[in-house]
Amino acid sequence: MWQIDTTTLSGKVSMALIVLGAFVLAFGLIPVLQTLPPRGRRALIAVVTFLVGAFFAAEFFMPLTQDDKNYLTPGIQPAQNALQIIGSLALGLGTYGLVRLHLRNVVQKRGQWGYSVVLLIAFVTMATFSIWNTLAEKRILARTPLLDRGFSLLFDYTLIQLDAAMFSIIAFYIYSAAYRAFRIRSIEASILMFTAMVVMIGIVPLGAYMSEQLFGLPREVPPNAHPFSLEAILYSLRLPEIADWILKQLNAPVQRAIEFGVGIGGLAMAIRLWLSLERGIT
Amino acid sequence: MQEMRPLTVWERMLAIDRRWLYLTLFVSIIVFLLLPVRLPAVISPPVRKFYDAIERLQPGDIVMVSSNWSASTIAENQPQLEAVLRHLMRKKVRFTLMSVEAQSRDISLRLANRLAKEFGYEYGKDWVHFGFYTDLIVAIKGMTNDLPATVKQDVKGTPASQLEVLKGVKSLKDYKMVIDVTPSSTVPYWISYRPKNLIVLYCPTSVMAAEAYTFLDSGQIEGMITGAKGAQEYEQLLGIVGLGTRFINGIQFSHVLIILTILLGNLALFMQRLSREA
Repeated sequence: MWQIDTTTLSGKVSMALIVLGAFVLAFGLIPVLQTLPPRGRRALIAVVTFLVGAFFAAEFFMPLTQDDKNYLTPGIQPAQNALQIIGSLALGLGTYGLVRLHLRNVVQKRGQWGYSVVLLIAFVTMATFSIWNTLAEKRILARTPLLDRGFSLLFDYTLIQLDAAMFSIIAFYIYSAAYRAFRIRSIEASILMFTAMVVMIGIVPLGAYMSEQLFGLPREVPPNAHPFSLEAILYSLRLPEIADWILKQLNAPVQRAIEFGVGIGGLAMAIRLWLSLERGIT
Repeated sequence: MQEMRPLTVWERMLAIDRRWLYLTLFVSIIVFLLLPVRLPAVISPPVRKFYDAIERLQPGDIVMVSSNWSASTIAENQPQLEAVLRHLMRKKVRFTLMSVEAQSRDISLRLANRLAKEFGYEYGKDWVHFGFYTDLIVAIKGMTNDLPATVKQDVKGTPASQLEVLKGVKSLKDYKMVIDVTPSSTVPYWISYRPKNLIVLYCPTSVMAAEAYTFLDSGQIEGMITGAKGAQEYEQLLGIVGLGTRFINGIQFSHVLIILTILLGNLALFMQRLSREA
């Protein structure tokens, strides 16, 4: 009942009418919303939020039949299509806002407007080649040597390199910060620093190399060795084993506790959003 | 006028210009990246489990690869994705790619195209890219109910119903596993919304790996490749020299440098305190 067969003529006509209707509704809704008083607008948004939230929650919690579906499951697909469209519209809205802001900077010659010119040129060039490339992939437009060279130059040799270089700079800040901030001023700080060092060395091949060559610890333990035999104890003292133990036995429970806390907080926040209790949501 | 006391060596060390630190790290990375010495990796249990899970696949099985990284984490995620795709192609497994990161759509498509040529994998028949999705939860839930209706078409505009790789595939339930290559916390969404028969394998950046140990412990993630270091272990299991193997020297000796510098900083602080007390 939720799906339209677009392979038939009637299906195509129905789909076209639905798209047209949705278009008129969406653009007709904006002036209607503008005429509503703020309280009415808030109430409308709260009702829509509650209904959509209730639909997804009900679909998730309702018992399933043998084919892993319930009465609401077929409605999930159109609802999700709508969500994808809203997500895409948000991207478009962001792009519109960005271009508008920088165009205004250029037109009004605000401070550092030259950067806005660079941004706009880069934006238009990248968008042109990117859209052209996507359409060429779908065989809607022809793939030409200009497209291949242009897209490769902009994407592979400019965007990727700049993005990777920018992120890699963090390593230098971390290094400088570690030198200045990692000071042994208390027992807790000492434990933290020692643990970090063991994990940093233990997880890389150098940790195993040092354990075997520097400390003379065994590379492996015989399969039938007793857990408290000398070989087993020496093996467990290797840096990779200690690092693994720290990650599994100390890190994992702490992460679990944090995630429980975050989960409960997330649930409370979701309920507040669903019921439009969160300030600023409407 | 009071005469300025010359700074001691320790005080100079504590007040070192940060640009010297940057230069030290830069030289260290360059030198050790070029160093021909290669230390063998110790295969960590999560990487071994990851490898074993793919080894258990049969030719013709289908796998979803969720590639959600941009160029900012290319040093960690590219070695992982490359090693994993190589393994899938060796096993003659069908795979489909998808991205919830706009850049990753093109990066993963180009990477898979390059490897497909090497292994003789045919686009549309052996593998396919579904493109970019704005919302992962929506995509997972949709594909769990009806994959062709959610996907609609691949990046080349071919309708999902005409893709040979999807022959016999109605939903994500027909897949064997999902491999999430990501620097973001997307894996909890896969764990929560996937069909329960779907095995989850995870390729996070090193900084994200600590959070995943809780899921590894519970069995919700079957295996994990941690950053470029995990990729080196995986390449060793595959018997290849890839990006992970090439990067590991730079990584491990940077760790050593950081540790030495921290120790030196603490020594300088200690000596400065001693000299003040004296």
